[in-house]
Amino acid sequence: MFDWFIWGLELVGVVILVAWIILPVKEVKHIIQQMRK
Amino acid sequence: MVTIDYVVFISFLIGLFIVGSILYKWVGEPDDYFVAGRNLPPFILAATLVATNVNLYSFIGQTGAAYQEGISIVWQAWTGNMAIVFSGLFILPIFRRLRVRTVPEYLELRYNRLVRSLVGLLWVFRLAFWLGVTMYTGAIAAETLTGIHSFTLWLFVFGIIAITFTTLGGMWSVALTDALQFVLMLGGALILLPLAMQSVGWTPGLIDKLPPGHFEFVKQHGNYNWQFMLAILVLGIQWASTDQGMIQRTFSANSVRTIVKGMVWAGIITTPFILIILLPGLVAAVNTPGLENIDVAYPMMMAKTLAPFLLGLMVCGLFSSHLSTVDSNLNAVATVFTADIYQAVFNRQASKKNVLWVARLTTVLAGILMILVAYIVPLLGGAVQAYLTIISIMDMPLFVVAVIYGLLWRRSNWQGALAGYLAGALAGIVARFGFGVDVNVTTFISAGAALVVCPIVSLLTPLTDENQLLTIWKAKKADQEEQSLGQAYNIFPQSFWAKTGTLVLGLGLVSFVTGALIGSTGQSFLASIFAIGGMLVFFTGGLIKVYAR
Repeated sequence: MFDWFIWGLELVGVVILVAWIILPVKEVKHIIQQMRK
Repeated sequence: MVTIDYVVFISFLIGLFIVGSILYKWVGEPDDYFVAGRNLPPFILAATLVATNVNLYSFIGQTGAAYQEGISIVWQAWTGNMAIVFSGLFILPIFRRLRVRTVPEYLELRYNRLVRSLVGLLWVFRLAFWLGVTMYTGAIAAETLTGIHSFTLWLFVFGIIAITFTTLGGMWSVALTDALQFVLMLGGALILLPLAMQSVGWTPGLIDKLPPGHFEFVKQHGNYNWQFMLAILVLGIQWASTDQGMIQRTFSANSVRTIVKGMVWAGIITTPFILIILLPGLVAAVNTPGLENIDVAYPMMMAKTLAPFLLGLMVCGLFSSHLSTVDSNLNAVATVFTADIYQAVFNRQASKKNVLWVARLTTVLAGILMILVAYIVPLLGGAVQAYLTIISIMDMPLFVVAVIYGLLWRRSNWQGALAGYLAGALAGIVARFGFGVDVNVTTFISAGAALVVCPIVSLLTPLTDENQLLTIWKAKKADQEEQSLGQAYNIFPQSFWAKTGTLVLGLGLVSFVTGALIGSTGQSFLASIFAIGGMLVFFTGGLIKVYAR
């Protein structure tokens, strides 16, 4: 039987993980750009 | 661990030094060191906040508790998340508008310098003790995971890296390790979860094989029962509004609205994350029952389940989680000492260069003190209990005088605050050591004494200067800077949607409390629906309030 509970949690976790790599990296890039100015 | 894991781990440590030396250039003046120049954007801020609520203790301590008593320990983190949202929406915006760096600094604005210095001094020792306990548990965890049994080795490896890293980059170091640790820990936990669940036949198999009551979210009996849910929520709100490591991160935010957004998102994101961590603890209860030391449940699952390389990455995650707790508290000690003792008492005219030098020196000295305390911890016996005793005695009275009376009652004055704080601490000491009362009850006794004494003494002594009060009361409303940037955040809701959000949040809280109370009757399923549903409604209300204009 497909375990909706666990794979649902995994899906939410992966979405958060991907967002968490993209968003802060974007923010750090922005800070570095500002510092260079 | 095999060779590849050590290669990953050592590369990670070298990487930390490189990042630290880059961050060194980002720190030009004291505010860069203490609060990252108040420049943290929302998602890095949220990552650092998540790291304060989910750290090495969640992986070691809370999974150990889940292994022993079941899933209901989840409320420690979940109520912590609710507290973060609550404090972010209603309390911390006020502190941020006052542009303070520490709670004692706020105490001088609200009361006077005496209250600030006294509380500051006590907090330096409290934080150093906490750091010692943290270092001790980190070294013990490293021994279990790596199989290299040398307490001194791990203590010095962690100690020297944490001191160097924090001294170099200050709050920037804290924020970036936090963001990094979150990615490593979540990634590792996501790989471990399905592998662990598969070994017990997924969720139905797990529920079947677990000891009775282990999968009840709201329990009638046991250490983590319905009463625990209510008590830990109150303690959580206190923690989320006065803990130095916690609030210093929010004071680093680039605007009030960033704080509120960061806090609400941090609370919501940690909620599923904590389940991902705790479930393997339950799996361990099925696969390897009868462990002598429950704290090894999660590291053991990791070592058994994860392939080489992945294990190395996860160890880096555990280590950066440990580092993030240590560096934020080292930074907190440096901030409290420099701002509330050095600048407030000894040298009010100190130059920026001088302040930065003192802050870095304090970081190193506090680091040495923390290593020494870690050595004493085994001799003290029950160090974690000792630490809990300290917070139950010292933190609740501070919350009462700083937040409850300080923000809500104009008539409270410095005499009342000082008397209330000392009476609360004294009552706590007498209850705990004189009568042997447990830590939970001590918390309420010390808070109760402060609640009673502060108003009595305040009413018997002169009023606080009206201008002083005006500064604090003005901070409850959006200031001109926020208005001009179009970033105004209203604590008291003004628009239709903000009012709706606040109402939804209130309903969620009522549902959560109802759930806990239903739990006292033993109807666990119904209680769980009310409590978990209430929490989700609470978060929804928070989100509506944040994004409403």
